[in-house]
Amino acid sequence: MESSELERINYLLDRDVDIREKIKEQVNELDKKTRVMVGLLNKIHSTPADAMPILIDSVRPILLSCRDVTTTLARIIPENQFWRWKDMWSNSIRTAVFAAILIEYLSSRTLLSIAQSAEILGITADWSDRMALPAEDYLHALISLVNELSRLAVNAVTLGNFEEPIKISLFVKELFAGFSVLNLKNDALRRRFDSLKYDIKKIEEVVYDVSLRKLAEVPSPKSVESSIG
Amino acid sequence: MATTTTSPSSSLTVLQSFDVFGADLDDHNERRERLIKASRDITNLSKKVIFLLHRLARGRADSKVDERTSYKQAAQQGYEKLREIQDLYAKLQPELESERFWRYQRQVSPGLQEYIEALSFAHYLDHGSLITFDEVQKTLMTPEGVEYFPLTLSDYLLGLSDLTGELMRFAISGIANKGGRKRATEVCAFVRRCKSDFEGMTPYIRELRKKQSVTTQSLEKIEDDDGALTEPSASGFFSTPAAYAIVVRSSEYDLPPEILEDIVAQSVSNYNSYSHETRGRRRDGLTGSDDEDEAM
Repeated sequence: MESSELERINYLLDRDVDIREKIKEQVNELDKKTRVMVGLLNKIHSTPADAMPILIDSVRPILLSCRDVTTTLARIIPENQFWRWKDMWSNSIRTAVFAAILIEYLSSRTLLSIAQSAEILGITADWSDRMALPAEDYLHALISLVNELSRLAVNAVTLGNFEEPIKISLFVKELFAGFSVLNLKNDALRRRFDSLKYDIKKIEEVVYDVSLRKLAEVPSPKSVESSIG
Repeated sequence: MATTTTSPSSSLTVLQSFDVFGADLDDHNERRERLIKASRDITNLSKKVIFLLHRLARGRADSKVDERTSYKQAAQQGYEKLREIQDLYAKLQPELESERFWRYQRQVSPGLQEYIEALSFAHYLDHGSLITFDEVQKTLMTPEGVEYFPLTLSDYLLGLSDLTGELMRFAISGIANKGGRKRATEVCAFVRRCKSDFEGMTPYIRELRKKQSVTTQSLEKIEDDDGALTEPSASGFFSTPAAYAIVVRSSEYDLPPEILEDIVAQSVSNYNSYSHETRGRRRDGLTGSDDEDEAM
């Protein structure tokens, strides 16, 4: 190899190392934030419904501060290289999205869409070649949400909130129906999806216990229909 | 919209958004499959080019044309064949546009490395040097200079690392021909230089370290297998006379190089029949001990 060629290759290799280190720094930053959020959100299992908004509001500013990280990442990553580096932060971003959709569910009982999730994390469409929120990461976050809600269904009843499991059951079934539309190949997402049925079973058991004892009114198919109309 | 539990609109959007994910996912998986398949085709084509180059380089060595020209001719035929692969890459261009390339880099990589191996072998026969990064990229772009996809350093270096194995085979297989010893020494020096160039890059590229140790083995086969002539090893033909053995042996004879070459050729063919015999005998020995085991 010519020495000039060798020099150039070494320069390019060094540049990649530099990028990797910078990304690592940001991922650490993001991890710190997600750990704090997950810590706070753990309290939903012991927080009565009326105190929930305060808890959720305490998480929001941290969630929004993730924008700093995504903005910096978009600056670090060279053009068209999003997929080259994304594995470095996939796990962290999934946790952040999970926090976002859990907060949204608890405050409005609706599903935060992928576009809304990206927006909350400050990921804009013009960065798509450097920083984006791929469907895979969003779907992973949804599964984490279902995992968490199956716990919440049990713990809400313990706190005397008998309506919660019924709401969760309806919401989760909808998500499950959505997942069933996908042709998942045999990867991590598929395995996690396969485990959803245990979460659903757990929620259904809670709903059964609550309705058997007439602690809450389970909407019959008819009453759901009338609420739609 | 009121934020009641599962309002009809939200139920619609959940399913709708999953339909979008489903379409994306199918699209992604299909593209991935196509690229894996293409990569496999390219690997096969590249292997054929490598075999072709070996065959031509060996065949031409006996002909009347001088060595340089015959290698250049072999390289030309190799380039010709490699154009088929370049055409395949041209067709893949839309699949690998902008950010997509890095999404599917892992699927593209195996075929690409094999292609670089074949291309760099042809280049070596042509110029006796290592093909540069830019020269490889130049074979993967439109006549207007638009890259089919950006070549990565790791694919380039890993492809070149495979080249050393081919060069070893090239040197050894032709060692009995006219000028074969000189060539083996040249190749040996060249591979050694490659190895030391790559050494500093191993921390940066994960798979390179493993390939470096393969290169080291290749080098050892050319370099210092001096016992090969007298004591055939199980690795057989490819570990036959090497640079060291030749130097040591040739010092014993005060002969002109041409006669020496004949002697080397003679000893190689002797060795071949000898090694087959011993291996046959060794196998007999093994079966013998098996029988004993059974008897017990």
